[in-house]
Amino acid sequence: MNAGKHILKTFSGTNYFVVWSEIVKNIKILLAYPVVIVFWAIFPVFWFLPFVFQGEAFVGGLQSASFAEIAGTPNYVPFLVVGAILNSYVLTSLWGLGESMRREAYQGTLDYLLASPCNKAFILIGKAISESINSTFFAISQIVICVLFFGLEITLGAIMPIIFIIILLIAGLYGIALMLAALSLQYKQSHDIAHVLDYVFYIFAPVRYPVQSLPLWGQLISKLLPLTYALIAVRSIIIMRQNVFSLYQEMLYLLVMDVLLIFLGFYFFNWVEKKTKKSGTISQY
Amino acid sequence: MEKTCVEHRELRKVPCPSGFTIANLKAESRAIWESNIKEWKIELAYPVGFLRSLIEPIVLILPFLIYGLVLVGGRYSENLKQLVGTGDIVSFIFVGYMIMGFIGTAVWAMGSSIRREQWFGTLESIYTTPTNRLSLVLGMALHSTVHQSISTLIEFTAIYTVFGLALKIQGILPTLVIFALMMFALYGFGIFVSALGLVLQEGWIVAEGLQSIMMLLSPVAYPLAVLPNFAQQMSTVFPTAPALEGMRSFLIEDYTLKTVGNVFLHLLALDISWIIFGVAIFYLVDRYVRGRGALGKY
Amino acid sequence: MDSALVYDFADEAYSIQTVNLTKLFRKRRHFGIFGFLRKRAKKKESSGRKEDITVALDHVNVNIRSEELFGLLGPNGAGKTTLVKCLSTTLLPDEGTAIVNGFDILKQATLVRSSIGLAIGGERTLYWKLTAKDNLMYFASLYKIPRNHAKERVDELLGLMGLSDRADERLEDYSTGMRQKVAIARALLHDPPILLLDEPTLGLDPTFSRQIRNLIRELCRKEGKTVLLTTHYMEEADEMCDRIAIINDGKIVAIDTSTNLKAMVKETELVEVACYNLPHNIEDDLRALCPDVEVITAFHGEEEKGNPSRLKIMGGSAEKYVGTVVDVLREKSARIVNLRIGVPTLEDVFIKLTGAKLTERGRSEG
Repeated sequence: MNAGKHILKTFSGTNYFVVWSEIVKNIKILLAYPVVIVFWAIFPVFWFLPFVFQGEAFVGGLQSASFAEIAGTPNYVPFLVVGAILNSYVLTSLWGLGESMRREAYQGTLDYLLASPCNKAFILIGKAISESINSTFFAISQIVICVLFFGLEITLGAIMPIIFIIILLIAGLYGIALMLAALSLQYKQSHDIAHVLDYVFYIFAPVRYPVQSLPLWGQLISKLLPLTYALIAVRSIIIMRQNVFSLYQEMLYLLVMDVLLIFLGFYFFNWVEKKTKKSGTISQY
Repeated sequence: MEKTCVEHRELRKVPCPSGFTIANLKAESRAIWESNIKEWKIELAYPVGFLRSLIEPIVLILPFLIYGLVLVGGRYSENLKQLVGTGDIVSFIFVGYMIMGFIGTAVWAMGSSIRREQWFGTLESIYTTPTNRLSLVLGMALHSTVHQSISTLIEFTAIYTVFGLALKIQGILPTLVIFALMMFALYGFGIFVSALGLVLQEGWIVAEGLQSIMMLLSPVAYPLAVLPNFAQQMSTVFPTAPALEGMRSFLIEDYTLKTVGNVFLHLLALDISWIIFGVAIFYLVDRYVRGRGALGKY
Repeated sequence: MDSALVYDFADEAYSIQTVNLTKLFRKRRHFGIFGFLRKRAKKKESSGRKEDITVALDHVNVNIRSEELFGLLGPNGAGKTTLVKCLSTTLLPDEGTAIVNGFDILKQATLVRSSIGLAIGGERTLYWKLTAKDNLMYFASLYKIPRNHAKERVDELLGLMGLSDRADERLEDYSTGMRQKVAIARALLHDPPILLLDEPTLGLDPTFSRQIRNLIRELCRKEGKTVLLTTHYMEEADEMCDRIAIINDGKIVAIDTSTNLKAMVKETELVEVACYNLPHNIEDDLRALCPDVEVITAFHGEEEKGNPSRLKIMGGSAEKYVGTVVDVLREKSARIVNLRIGVPTLEDVFIKLTGAKLTERGRSEG
């Protein structure tokens, strides 16, 4: 009876209201900075352009036979484009949700957030959803630019599978971001940890080159990142025109990873929160 | 009450040197040096961040190297040789990426310097001292230049060890001259960006945008020849384009450059232009921000 | 010696003179995307621009003598900090100017900055990741003090502030009071003739506040410095200042010694009543019944928490109206817990001159 009441309480209307309020707050704050919106909608495209020009300089065209041997396709531009768009989810999750607690501390609102009687998990869920909404809006904008200017082709039938893969990617990334948010409560130099995580994705995720270009130890690290499987799957659909059902292995790895990372994320956050409250350093920055 | 300037006469003694005197120039130089030392002390108070920043150039160059090697299927690119006379993509990319960090000096270290002081809450405090405000920005630039030089040395050691580099030792001295000329212009650009940071709430976006554009228009990872014509024209405005061409011609064997002499003249012209432009904008913005009373606001 | 432009109004007896100093702020509106659209839609309906401008300083004329400890007293948003910022050259006035140590704040800003030491209370104005010594050495270089002299000066000032044994600790480990002492030490580094102290005891406990006040008095009396002290604590101004200017809504309402200011309400006795169930229209009722009374202000406290409301009445002889006040309150079922007839304070002077309480919040200063 008590367990039932507890479950009902967990999923009660007030908790949904917490999630909703958090989403509305974050989106209102974002809308107060229209320049930021325009920036994230457009600029990530600029960041892969140097690789396109580099390719042209080194191979004299938009196709490379050497590239095809490893990547399975000679067309490196669509390869780069898919990498850039999915990588923007990494950036918004690390620097958005991951740094959200640090931002709350700067603004002086963290103490009040943590002293509130609601379950903190719902605040974090609200933050995660609002970041997902932002990221998806930015991703759509970048996709439109890439379709118009870089010849990216996406068939209608590919859209739903891609959305599904992106949802799986987001879930895994937010598990990582939760751990980062937890660290920022206790460890005041969490900004540097976010950078280090960013570096790991920057080098080992197959954003610009296939996993096989890395040495063996690098490939092992790559296989621990959710972005790796998401990229392989999305590229297979868009560039190789593979059937989504043939990608069941990548989907399964992503799913298992998501469950593990989310569980670890929430557990770690609760543990660090308790530890930080004991030490009294929660709102220092 | 209408004021009239009656005459100049000596009044109360002012405790600090001022005007175009040796004492004042010494004092301004010392302020630049102490600003640099202050930045070091604050940076070293965050040891993890300091160590991370030292290895960052290695992290940023690796994807360009790996990507290039994968595209070409090795270290040598025939197409690159036809464009610039050398096919060694590793040496080509490394020389380009050496400069990348110094673009960051101008855009982030200098560009965000004033904004960072606002964030600390110390901007009004330092602005009420008699030291010239540009001295404060230059002090931060000095710190960043030294910091970046250390990072570049570490980067060189790492890339040389892993990939090997074929660079001409006799080219180092002229390269340093070109580097110095480039840095003067970048300092002017950095002063301009620091002024923008004062007046724009989201100055980091402007800094990020400018860095992206500058990197795109600089031959960091590819020669200028692959850019569309209009982009090649635009690149002449930034000092990194002629500097990189000049440096590669001195450091890399067989690298062809049309006229080396033009590089020095081009950089000299950019130095004068960017410094005048940057300082002018800085003082205009300073007046504007003081008029609005926004110095203390972050 | 440094030369200076001389104006026909400038008087060497004054360290600081302001001439019609005026500062206006345009209210900034943060719209976001939808707000911007709403603003465009409402543009045609806008009645005018007056409400968009805040007058932070309104033709302020103040003369501060050399070696004077001058107080600027006013509530939050009165214009105190705005005036200090103009004098320290970090804010450009829209009209008028000021002469500081004989130098024009507009034309000789660097010389002005060389002549002043600034300490602002209650804010982060130092580098928390540096030690007290590092902070002071750095600012000593910005004040163009030669290195060997700077070291001696820093040690001397840290000793004066009682911080010598903690000189090598980071400011992040200091208490607020200790940080404020370092801020004042910074203002003294180059031994300026003028100190601008903007609410230097803000947020400090009574012990530190007293220490700071004693220090300020010493600096003025023994070292002959001119001190402009801004505060909204009337006891502080009353206790310390040679002369006090009362500022409200950007205007100087009165300038005089504390004694002379209180003498403005000398003939007026003050009746202060503490009670529960204070009726909301009591001011109107009393004004109707006691037309000779000058000021009536009612402050409604959180009575349910045990904080009684207060009624303050000033006007001539209390004997004439105190009976009426008590009768009215009893009729309205108010429960009187305390009644005092006393001598007016500076706050009462402020209320008389402006009609507002000294601690009431005005608009925020720019």
